[in-house]
Amino acid sequence: MRWHIALGTLFVLILVAVFGYIAVGEQTRMQSFTDAYDARQIETGAALFETHCRTCHGPQGKGIIGVAPAINAADMFNGERLAAAGFSGTLTDYLEGTISAGRPIPSAGTSYPQRMPTWSQEFGGPLRKDQVNSLVAFIENWQDRALAEGGEATAPAPAGEPIGTDIAVNLPPGDAARGEQLAQSAQGGCSACHELAAVGPAWAASGDVPGIATRAGERIQEADYTGSATTAQQYLIESIVLPNAFVEPGYQPSIMPQDFGQRLTAQQVADLIAYMDTKP
Amino acid sequence: MAIFKLHLPILDEIKQKGLRPALRDKKEDIVTRVTAGLSTEDVRSMLRDDPPGRPNPRLKPHSEGFWLHMKPTYYNNLVDGVYPTFRLGWLSTFFFLIEIVTGVLLMVYYTPSPEFAYTNMLTILSNVPFGRLIRDVHRLGAELMVAIVMLHALRTFLTGSYKKPRQFTWATGIILLLVTWLLSFSGYLLPWDQLSLWAVTIGVSMVEAIPPEVVGRTVNLLFRGAPEFGANGLLRWYLLHVVALPLAGIIFVGVHYYKVVLHGHSLPPEAEEIGEDTARRVPTDSRTYFFPHIATRELFYVVAVTALIVIGALFYHAPLEPHADPLVTPLHSTAPWYFLWLQGMLKLGDKVIFGLIVPGVLIGGLLVLPYIEVGPSRRYGHRRIGLTAGLGLVFAFGVLSYMGSPWYAVQTSPEQEAIAELLPQTHPGPLRLADWNGLDIGTYEASAYAQAPTGTLRSVLAEFEHSVEAIDVPERSDYQGVIVIEDWQTNLKKLTLRILWTDDASGDPGEYSQTVYLHKDSNYGQGE
Repeated sequence: MRWHIALGTLFVLILVAVFGYIAVGEQTRMQSFTDAYDARQIETGAALFETHCRTCHGPQGKGIIGVAPAINAADMFNGERLAAAGFSGTLTDYLEGTISAGRPIPSAGTSYPQRMPTWSQEFGGPLRKDQVNSLVAFIENWQDRALAEGGEATAPAPAGEPIGTDIAVNLPPGDAARGEQLAQSAQGGCSACHELAAVGPAWAASGDVPGIATRAGERIQEADYTGSATTAQQYLIESIVLPNAFVEPGYQPSIMPQDFGQRLTAQQVADLIAYMDTKP
Repeated sequence: MAIFKLHLPILDEIKQKGLRPALRDKKEDIVTRVTAGLSTEDVRSMLRDDPPGRPNPRLKPHSEGFWLHMKPTYYNNLVDGVYPTFRLGWLSTFFFLIEIVTGVLLMVYYTPSPEFAYTNMLTILSNVPFGRLIRDVHRLGAELMVAIVMLHALRTFLTGSYKKPRQFTWATGIILLLVTWLLSFSGYLLPWDQLSLWAVTIGVSMVEAIPPEVVGRTVNLLFRGAPEFGANGLLRWYLLHVVALPLAGIIFVGVHYYKVVLHGHSLPPEAEEIGEDTARRVPTDSRTYFFPHIATRELFYVVAVTALIVIGALFYHAPLEPHADPLVTPLHSTAPWYFLWLQGMLKLGDKVIFGLIVPGVLIGGLLVLPYIEVGPSRRYGHRRIGLTAGLGLVFAFGVLSYMGSPWYAVQTSPEQEAIAELLPQTHPGPLRLADWNGLDIGTYEASAYAQAPTGTLRSVLAEFEHSVEAIDVPERSDYQGVIVIEDWQTNLKKLTLRILWTDDASGDPGEYSQTVYLHKDSNYGQGE
């Protein structure tokens, strides 16, 4: 019995000592778990980005012209993008909101005609809230490098008088090579939808469907044509500056940006048409 | 006229007896009430271990108090040693209490909803002082309790203590074993991590086999709350875990204890005549009284076991896997260890026969064992068949548990297995635990591990080479392992583990690869 009392007292002291030992290290332990979990969220976010985001935003989030804008860009982190969108919350909120709810309609005045899908389960998407948070953590981890790289993230203004929406305008002589360059650049962004993806009608000939150069002449003759073009060239100008005047059967209206008339000069449109003419 | 009159009897007594005697009498009164019948002098003499007076005043707390009426007043010296009880029954009860206390503390921070449960786990680990300790003790205690209860049942079987008149005590014991299993199992689901979701999914899918089909489907649906585990299923298992099963446990522990007091602790088999039960007839010279000896010792056990389990929790950390995901089945997910035998049995064949009928008959058989096996002798020498069958069952438990583990007859691709050696899906594994700074950017062939620039890479690559070499698939050859390490973000590296081979028949190259992202601070070495 004496032994039990003596040993019992000893164990009580040991217990108190162990509790004390744990108590002393508890703040550090909790902090180190918090840090570790934050880091693991970035890892999880990286894997999710690879599966769900990279196809549109690119493997390093640099964006793909005409498909989806850059996320890994200086303007995302220096407040310019938030200011442009008129968003007054934090970057975390902006990212969380955009990923969760997506972009139900394409942003006006951009070269990105596709909608961004909703990702959070809350809005019918596939990701849980913690997964959305992981993606946000991953994206925010680009901050240092994106700011260090800097660079122009927004599309440049047109290099002259914009062409407007008059389809009967006289065009200067076009250059197909320059047109091709413009079609594939961030400013034009045409090839993303008309060459790579099946978002808009393809320019090139495919099977028994002729290329855009031939189709332009044929379209205006057809009974269901709703636009006001009378020549093949007018039809092409109309398709660029007033894309909803006539939408090819099988495609949705308003997918194509409506503002190319304000973003392109007559010379640029002429170059594009010259390039399209190389696709009979 | 006074509206009410304050009357303190103590004041009258002070008036009558004087201050000191009145206070002394009051203290005496309080001590007797608290101890349910002992005077201060009785307590003192007990602590001095003086011989008790006659009649023994130390028996009063057993007859007059609530808590001690479920403890015997004295034990036979023959059962007071470590043998034959090994204190396993006492330990089972004590662990049950530890689980209740730590469980209630955990409930403070827990919400039974898939939206919050996992976040709650993270909060317990990152933001609750002593949170990890409580969780570790709860988990460690649960695993130990299952083991102790099982050993307790085994001991009772080996010493033949289930025989008349303790048949019903044994039956309640088997029910308590089932309650313990289910308590531990239902707790698995609550953290809502991958381990919990899949271990319970595997377990519950077994009831789906109950024939006829409509019954199996309905029971399965009742346990899951929906065709897939979700909010309803979690809530149901939570209620089972914190209300229904503990209640059943408390009730049956009560019955079990009552029967133990009623029949006395069974003596070692060799101590009594065959067919006799003399546990209640304890000669006066062979008694150890509860007060003070057993009580002191049990108090000592309480402190010692608590200290040991808390010390154990410094080294054991309850696992926490990634968030539950019904779409991703982790490689090598298994049932908890005490149900591995069931999983092993399922690999033998038909789900109905081996998943339901055989275990059902086994457990039902255990429940009614004392009513069927009525041989009068408890001596080991007279129970050769019974003991052999019992040990056979223990052996079968071991073998079936091995068969239930992922190392037996699980068909997965060998390439996937080889990568899982470095990058397991149920615990961190060597690659996540490797020194992040030692994983230099570059492309490395596993076979050239000796030329790798850092020690970390050399050991990781050597391990990879070892598992790639072990791959043996017919009609494929030239197996080769490659690890590509890329700088992906600030403090984030992307690692691609690739296994290449050549198809013998066509000569075509084949490839299997897996990617992991590792952050500098992810610190997988913390034990969770």
